[in-house]
Amino acid sequence: MIFNPDSIKPIYIQIAEWLETEILSANLKEDERIYSQYQLAEMFNINPATAAKGLNLLADENIVYKKRGLGMFVSPHAKELILTKRRNQFLTQMIRELVIEAKRLGVSENELIQMIEQASQEWEGEQP
Amino acid sequence: MGGGTAMSVVECRNLTKSYGKLSAIDDLTFDIEENKITGLIGRNGAGKTTLLKLIAGYLRPTSGELKVFAHNPFNSLEVSAHTMFIDDNMSFPNTFTLVDILVEVAPFYPNWDSRLAQGLFDYFSLNPKQRHGRLSKGSKSTFNAIIGIAARCPLTLFDEPTTGMDSAVRKDFYRALLKDYIEHPRTVILSSHLLGELEEILEDILLLDQGTKRLQLPLIEMKEFAIGLRGNAQAVLQFIEGREIIYQEEFAPSSLYVVVKKDLAPGAYDRARQNGIESVPVFVNDLCIYLTGKSKGGIDDVFKRG
Repeated sequence: MIFNPDSIKPIYIQIAEWLETEILSANLKEDERIYSQYQLAEMFNINPATAAKGLNLLADENIVYKKRGLGMFVSPHAKELILTKRRNQFLTQMIRELVIEAKRLGVSENELIQMIEQASQEWEGEQP
Repeated sequence: MGGGTAMSVVECRNLTKSYGKLSAIDDLTFDIEENKITGLIGRNGAGKTTLLKLIAGYLRPTSGELKVFAHNPFNSLEVSAHTMFIDDNMSFPNTFTLVDILVEVAPFYPNWDSRLAQGLFDYFSLNPKQRHGRLSKGSKSTFNAIIGIAARCPLTLFDEPTTGMDSAVRKDFYRALLKDYIEHPRTVILSSHLLGELEEILEDILLLDQGTKRLQLPLIEMKEFAIGLRGNAQAVLQFIEGREIIYQEEFAPSSLYVVVKKDLAPGAYDRARQNGIESVPVFVNDLCIYLTGKSKGGIDDVFKRG
């Protein structure tokens, strides 16, 4: 498996996201042991330290937990955590971009809110 | 990797190696920790080969201190027993065929894996009956690299190991080295003028410039070290006022691309975008080139007239 080394996202974040997707698709189940840094390094052809950084990212967010001497395991609430995080990150990022673009175009905050409300109403109206 | 404090395999303090008036290595201080793969990166003439030869004990320092496995490496049996230096100039007796060499080197290296050596030898389709001196540049590099991997020395030094290898062989070599390193961790220093495909197998980077240390950082941090900003020249200059410019290029009239340290909060770059300044990531290979530029400008300046 090859990651895109030219991607804007650092490889360790790509690793963490790939593991999250594996958890969401239930290829990795809760309380199941996750790949070790050495397995990931071998799978993705990267230094084990880079793989460890990806795993630690998930541990910091409690998506996986460490068992001393045994490795890392999928947390019982991993799926919910990932879904909540992705929802928040995705929306927050899009709203941020929206706000910046609005400012660049000279659209006021009120106008922007009106536009969002209008879009929302239009969408409601299109529903059967 | 793992925890605890790592032992330093190479300790270098104010090391200088001079040839007459020229210092190939100039007041260099750094440590290399055990069981890491370090990329020794620099332009031609930066001092990479001299440094590797000093570490291997082939050269005597002019001044300063160098310890390898806590010993002075020059003429040290202790160091040479644990160290392997792989470069273009390795020579073997001319009466030996390649297969002879694989057999004869084995007793010198306690960790030698003859199955691995033979496996790699067959995989790369080298001719067992050929003599080392007759090999093409690429095949010689491949053969030497096989020895470097199969010897599994606690300290393995590769000086520009991929010279002459084609792209497929280079990738296979890096993968073979990484796989064997994962199973048998050891300290590896690889010199190269180019990062590119080598990058992802490295843990640390030591960047040399004219015999001195420009930077030593984990690869992960190196990727986050700098950011490129592109936009209206005046706006860009205003945004980066007072900060050190790593690289700059006027790519169109009054349009500027600059590289600076990425040490502002992410919000600052969003605000820059409002003023029409785009931020782009800087590849580690480009960053290394910018950090070791011999002159302020680039090749374009040579062509500028009037």
